[in-house]
Amino acid sequence: MMADFRQDRMTEEQRMNALLNYQKPDRVPILGMASAFYMINCGYTLTELQTDPQKAFNAMQWSCQQYNWQPLWEHLAHTVLGSWDFGAKMKMPDSPYAMAIAVETNAVQTEDDVWNLKMPDPKTTGAILKRMEFSKLQDEAGWPITFFSRSPFNTGADICGVEQFARWLMKKPEICDRLMRMALEHTLNVLQYWVDTFGAEKLVYFMSSPSEANQIFSPRHIQKYALPYHREFHQRMRAMGVKKFMFHICGEQNLNLPYLAEFASSADGWPHPSILTFGHEVDLEDAGKYFPDDIIMGNVEPALFQTGLPQQVYEHCRLCIEKGKKLRGGFILAPGCGLPPKAPSYNVWMMTKAVNDFGWYE
Amino acid sequence: MRQQRITNRERIEALLSGQPVNRIPLYPFILGFSARNVGYPLATIYSDPQKSFEAQLWTQEQYGFDWGPVYGYASYGTWEFGGKIKMPESDYEQAPSHTVFPVQSEEDVDRLKLPDVRQAGCLPLAMEFSRLQAEQGTPITLVFGGNFTIAGNICPVEKLCRWMLKKPELAHRLLRLATDHIVDAVRYWADTFGGEPVIAQIWEPLASNDIISPRQFERFVLPYLQESGEKILSMGVKHIFYHICGEHNLNLPYWAQVPMGSPGICSVGSQIEIATAIEHLGDMAIIAGNIEPHILQTGTPQQVYELCQKAIEAGKKAPRGFMLMTGCETPPDTPPYNVYMMRKAIDDFAGINSRGLFRIEGNIHWDVSGV
Amino acid sequence: MSSEERAQELIKELYDTVVNMDEEAAAEVSQTILREGIDAYQAVVNGLTAAMEKVGELYANQEYFVPELLLCSDALYAGLDILRPHIKVEKAGAKGRIVIGVVEGDIHDIGKNLVRIMFDAAGWTVHDLGKDVKLEKFAEEQQRTKADIVALSALMTTSMMAMPKVVQMVKAQNSNVAVMVGGAPLTREIAMSYGADGYADTAANAVEEATQLVKMLGERKG
Repeated sequence: MMADFRQDRMTEEQRMNALLNYQKPDRVPILGMASAFYMINCGYTLTELQTDPQKAFNAMQWSCQQYNWQPLWEHLAHTVLGSWDFGAKMKMPDSPYAMAIAVETNAVQTEDDVWNLKMPDPKTTGAILKRMEFSKLQDEAGWPITFFSRSPFNTGADICGVEQFARWLMKKPEICDRLMRMALEHTLNVLQYWVDTFGAEKLVYFMSSPSEANQIFSPRHIQKYALPYHREFHQRMRAMGVKKFMFHICGEQNLNLPYLAEFASSADGWPHPSILTFGHEVDLEDAGKYFPDDIIMGNVEPALFQTGLPQQVYEHCRLCIEKGKKLRGGFILAPGCGLPPKAPSYNVWMMTKAVNDFGWYE
Repeated sequence: MRQQRITNRERIEALLSGQPVNRIPLYPFILGFSARNVGYPLATIYSDPQKSFEAQLWTQEQYGFDWGPVYGYASYGTWEFGGKIKMPESDYEQAPSHTVFPVQSEEDVDRLKLPDVRQAGCLPLAMEFSRLQAEQGTPITLVFGGNFTIAGNICPVEKLCRWMLKKPELAHRLLRLATDHIVDAVRYWADTFGGEPVIAQIWEPLASNDIISPRQFERFVLPYLQESGEKILSMGVKHIFYHICGEHNLNLPYWAQVPMGSPGICSVGSQIEIATAIEHLGDMAIIAGNIEPHILQTGTPQQVYELCQKAIEAGKKAPRGFMLMTGCETPPDTPPYNVYMMRKAIDDFAGINSRGLFRIEGNIHWDVSGV
Repeated sequence: MSSEERAQELIKELYDTVVNMDEEAAAEVSQTILREGIDAYQAVVNGLTAAMEKVGELYANQEYFVPELLLCSDALYAGLDILRPHIKVEKAGAKGRIVIGVVEGDIHDIGKNLVRIMFDAAGWTVHDLGKDVKLEKFAEEQQRTKADIVALSALMTTSMMAMPKVVQMVKAQNSNVAVMVGGAPLTREIAMSYGADGYADTAANAVEEATQLVKMLGERKG
């Protein structure tokens, strides 16, 4: 570890296990959500994040050691990506200003394209081969194996592009239903492949839902169209034996929280405790009230790491820690979404420093 | 075992006074890297003392290293003697560079005058920086080129080399002015802060054997280094830090004749083995070095770690002490993890993760019993 | 009913088709407006533009979200496509000219598209460069179109880093152009630190911001 900080009394695994058993760890863990940042930190490129699982694994492992962050339950990049897997033309990050793989042309353009959509091969399509390599490295290291997809609603929207999805949702929701159905079935096919390869007990399912944010869709659309698929997803994930779940409730989702909370507390809801990560738009205390039986993670605004003063980042981290430590279900400090890969390292390190200064459970 | 915690300032003081330390000190020599690390434009390291100090201090805190912050750059002398430099602007520039040399012709040499150290070139910025060093309790360092390097910044070094052979009186005139300027500048610092807290930091890359022969070093460099060294030490300055960058192996017997203080500090590049530096200079100076910067920038973390391990193992034998340091400035775009490797290597081989009490030849031992 | 009352009635109907997201009705009513000799310019300004201002309010109040906005815009364009060719030239003076795009490295364009819709609705001449736009294209397009405003959008923190360079390029070429920026990771403070002249946090207030910038440019010239 850099600097001369207090010594940890637990290993990363012990700390995570404490949280998962509703016990207090020695200190607040930090999860970087930083797969792209790790690459830059170690002198690798963002394209290599997609194409070189060994480098991506090394970068994650080394950077977590350097910053004293939690490598367990950290995700790499999407295992399943609706756009890529269903045939979109993709572009690697080829500019100094690009952060991630991007869609050049959507997989479907017309209604007929949707009805003619074929189920992709769950073992070879998109990034799956590379992600399987990465998962094997996690397994060799004795780490939990992270499986990452977006929600069925979001993955369905990715197949046609969210703008088109939004139009169809208003005018022809049956088309969206078809897309979400294809998305769900494909995701679960790939998950089954992971279960068959590693065993369900080793898997951590990481799901994100940025396109369910209220910056785009109304809560009534989410309740009507997204939630039924969340319900079915969890029923079937449970039936496969996968019990560890992380949900990145990305962006402005305050209006969705009551519906998500109702779902979470139902018999069909996600397992408890799951780890729920929130963007800066959702107050951590609100998150804790809605989801008292889950570990809350977040929620320093990502842009602040890039543009803020170190003291501002430190102060935000302190506020998050002060709120998070009081949460009944437990707390992990993290950025509110993916850590900007080119954020000044000193700003990023403020998370480590703030936990050292404020994050101990005495 | 009880944790013995000392601050990095205490560690440097202990190193300078020959006391035990709980780990080998570290100085990654990071200027532009610090700017990148905190998100400042690279030029601020040289143009804005407050931001430069902040960037380096924060980076020091983050990476857990010991020496610094410092203000200085390799083309010192150009601006001070009336030429022009430009601050780094593009993505590929690392430090200030000459745009107009003060001396272009033989006639210019005659016209050259000693600068006013209170106003010349970067010295007002350097003084502002040193006031921050004094306030914060970090070493008060004045960084400038060595006598020959300053001369080679006053006129283009190729011209200096030609004059050394064909018109040695011109070379001597420039070296005289450089030497007197060095003494003036240090005197100004000593008058301001007292002699004892000041550490003169002298970078002498142009006097390497990549450019001049050891005979030329003996004739054109050594006498001036000896003169300025003696005069600096007579002001009450206790330590002179010589950064002898590049290929200096054949100069080492001469460096051993340069007054450095008690002890001096001598940092070497990857071209000089630590053991060789100890052999020639170990009785008079703390040895620092010698991690190759381009390995930091382009090598794997494992390569950096192994280089550090090798330097540490050799450095433990330094009788006056050792500081792990890069052979020259860490490139600004070095992957941060590689910089971290330096501290990790120290923790693993000569610090918190290492075991036992080290006893080495000479009168310095690394006492890790408290960790 | 007097012809003035009939005009008001149809323009109100046109307004309602946009707010109610009825693309087909917007086209029908627009055709009716032309058939009955009602002034196309009045219909655009008081029917379509006014409706989009209302839609902007509904969006700001979180009554309408993106899908609703998109369908409203479909109705808007259905009406504009029919009415715009019939606007008499002397009345058609554009409010301003704007170049807009999502900066290099970023393909998230919903925000930009919503902003473009609002400018179209408000009668601006819009030159939309699309997404993942190479930095130098903004200055090139500004020069080609003589736009008053260059508007940059970014969702990603990596692509926002390109904005100061674009601002510099545009202003080095022509200092009498205003640059405004927007996107999720941005704030007004960051925008100003990038050298931008303006900033809008939602599509709804982008047009107002741009209008003020054009006024500022005019005062500067005068």
